[in-house]
Amino acid sequence: MSALGTPVPGPGGGSRALAASRRGRRWERWRRRNLTFDRVSFFVVFLVLPVAAYLALVVSPFVQAVYFSLTNWSGFTPDMQFIGLSNYSKLFSDATFLTALRNSVELAVVLPIVTLVIALFFASLVTVGGSSHGNVRGLRNSSVYRVISFFPYVVPAIVIGLLWSQIYDPNSGLLNGVLTHIGLSQFKSFAWLGAVRTAKLAVMFVIVWGLVGFYMVLFIAAIKGVPAEIFEAARVDGAGRFRTAVSITIPMIRANVQTAFIYMGILSLDAFVYMAALEPGGGPQNSTLVMTQQLFTTAFTKGQFGYACAMGVVLAAITLVYAGLVFAVNRLTGGTNEVGE
Amino acid sequence: MPVPQQPIPRRQFLRGSLAAAALLPASGFLASCASSGTGNGSGSGTKSKGKVSANNPFGVAKGSTTEAVIFNGGYGIDYAKFAGDQMQKQQGVTVKVSPVTNVAQTLQPRFVAGNPPDVIDNSGAGLIGINTIRNQLEDLTDVIEAKNYEGKVIKDTLFPGVTKPGTFDGKFVQLNYVLTVYALWYSASLFDQEGWTVPKTYDEMLTLGAKAKKKGKYLLGWGKEAATYYQTMAIASAIKEGGDEVRLALENLKPKCWSMPAIQSVFQGLKKIIDAGYVKPGGAGTQFTAAQAQWSNAEDFILYPSGGWIENEMKTQTKKGFKMTGAPEPVVSSSPAMPYEALHSTAGEGYIVPSKGKNVAGGKEFLRAMLSKDAATNFAKTKLSSTIVKGTVPPDGFGSTALQSQIKLLASAGTNVFSWNFVDLYGMNTDQLVLWNTFLSGGSDVATLTKGLQGITDKIANDSSIKKVPVT
Repeated sequence: MSALGTPVPGPGGGSRALAASRRGRRWERWRRRNLTFDRVSFFVVFLVLPVAAYLALVVSPFVQAVYFSLTNWSGFTPDMQFIGLSNYSKLFSDATFLTALRNSVELAVVLPIVTLVIALFFASLVTVGGSSHGNVRGLRNSSVYRVISFFPYVVPAIVIGLLWSQIYDPNSGLLNGVLTHIGLSQFKSFAWLGAVRTAKLAVMFVIVWGLVGFYMVLFIAAIKGVPAEIFEAARVDGAGRFRTAVSITIPMIRANVQTAFIYMGILSLDAFVYMAALEPGGGPQNSTLVMTQQLFTTAFTKGQFGYACAMGVVLAAITLVYAGLVFAVNRLTGGTNEVGE
Repeated sequence: MPVPQQPIPRRQFLRGSLAAAALLPASGFLASCASSGTGNGSGSGTKSKGKVSANNPFGVAKGSTTEAVIFNGGYGIDYAKFAGDQMQKQQGVTVKVSPVTNVAQTLQPRFVAGNPPDVIDNSGAGLIGINTIRNQLEDLTDVIEAKNYEGKVIKDTLFPGVTKPGTFDGKFVQLNYVLTVYALWYSASLFDQEGWTVPKTYDEMLTLGAKAKKKGKYLLGWGKEAATYYQTMAIASAIKEGGDEVRLALENLKPKCWSMPAIQSVFQGLKKIIDAGYVKPGGAGTQFTAAQAQWSNAEDFILYPSGGWIENEMKTQTKKGFKMTGAPEPVVSSSPAMPYEALHSTAGEGYIVPSKGKNVAGGKEFLRAMLSKDAATNFAKTKLSSTIVKGTVPPDGFGSTALQSQIKLLASAGTNVFSWNFVDLYGMNTDQLVLWNTFLSGGSDVATLTKGLQGITDKIANDSSIKKVPVT
């Protein structure tokens, strides 16, 4: 044994010694690097400054808004009185606000589902829905459809709103013009944005129209990231287009769908731009009034900023709950918690 | 109309983290409420104080600067620049006139910081609710008690009652500069051609509706943002019908005020016209200037209730030879409490002087310049509207039939001039629009309309956080 000269560490003691020396080295590395100029300046530039900026620009307005929601601030005075939670109790007995809240939630439930189903449908047609012979590919001329479907997203939301408010015009609008031309005379002077049973559908249609192209392009990019072999294998196994979409495409781009769902939901909870152009007054019997509109009028027209801040806090809470719900549903149905980058 | 920014920047989409997803838009909602911090403004007129003299009643300092922020709407800001030049000539004060479209949004931070402009034209859809700032404003009584540049006491040169709409709790804080006459507008040439006469009661309107229908025209029409013009007409009719007590009940937010017989009879008169199909359908979905063009250009309908600004507003969309003319708003019965000629007239374009402005004296001097003969005549001539200063419009109305008829309406009304504030004062218009759009579409009856309007009134009357202005 000793003829070998070098001590061979035994199974137990040796590993202990190794661990000890590793620990020592790590500690030394910490100490050595702890206060060098490089390290400190790195911390300052990449940690302290961003956190400070985040605190000053994001967190402090949050805190301030929450504080204002507990006051009777009119918005035009330097001073205000603290009134506790009475803005919140007023909120939940305010019929107009509750209508707005219901409308906003309704938009947040309906719009993401409708938009994303249509977007997914078109995205799979354009990428994997083509001929069932040869390579997996989309429909013929699919790049043309892709470009066209993206058009509405290039147009700013406010322009889309103004455009459609003209199309919906009862007497000189394109829609009623076409409908009456093909013989549907009951649509003569029909106010799409002025009748309770159509106003909400009409604005929802505009929002879907404006955003479907964007989500379609997003899903196309995601589907292209899925290896073509997987689709080919499914086809060899005899899966049709619908089966491929449900069993292959959606699970493979799950993270993108989740992200899209959250964004679309937040946009629906906002919807301010579309509503400001289409239904600035809240629509017939307030059927399209959304929380952001109500917040805006309360603050700037009625001069009740404290009350408006309470609305903002409620809206923020709903947004967070919504995002949480989407994550929970995704988790429960077997997805991971990762979000597509 | 406010055009907000795209709420979610597109690039952030691709980052797709939960934090960004949930917090960014939320921060938008919340941050919109945040104030820009508070600061100490200079005290009332401490910085620039000149010597008070007969020609300088407020003691504005020579060489000082006055900041005027003017609503840039239908009237533009040229007339204010004109007045600024007059003031410069008289007092040697530099007047900085700047335009603003959303008064409340733009100036809110400056009020919070205690650094407001010296004089503001608080008008337009985005005006600051006067109730929220009125205790930060100067009393303007000394302005109208001063002499104008021609040496006459300003008070004596104004139309009667024009300071009323700017007076709250006995303090005159808002000088409304433009005289607004509310009327029922029609095309004199069309009426002459068809041999129609202007209806004086709601029953006559119904009869005229039938005649118009025969010619393929509607009697009335409306646009979605302006449905409450019919409320304005209805209230005026009701006040003429039932007298001043109707006005006081509405102004003081009395319980069941909308159920008063005078108001109900007007609503019923309107309802008959709506049910007869004499109102052009689709108004609830039509942008209001498009609807007004259906009247002034296409002549789809023949009567329109509005304020005197209508001529200026529709200038480019009025048929040639239309001869826009105003008639008093109709009454209900043959024996109303006030004569048919009684007139709903008030003044608009509210000028205010914040007490915390750097140059309060300059702000007041600016109003003095505006109320002097040259500036007032210039306004009437270039805007085809009368200011509250009398005698600036010649009988030919600078060639405008609408302006001629306004002067005639004022003359025949004499002292029977009234107006009200409660709709604007308490910010009710947005909620009322909803009800009127439904009512005019034929979607609700008089009882529903009354209940809805009363609900809006009661909500404000019972809200202790809203300061009330008692009206007598």
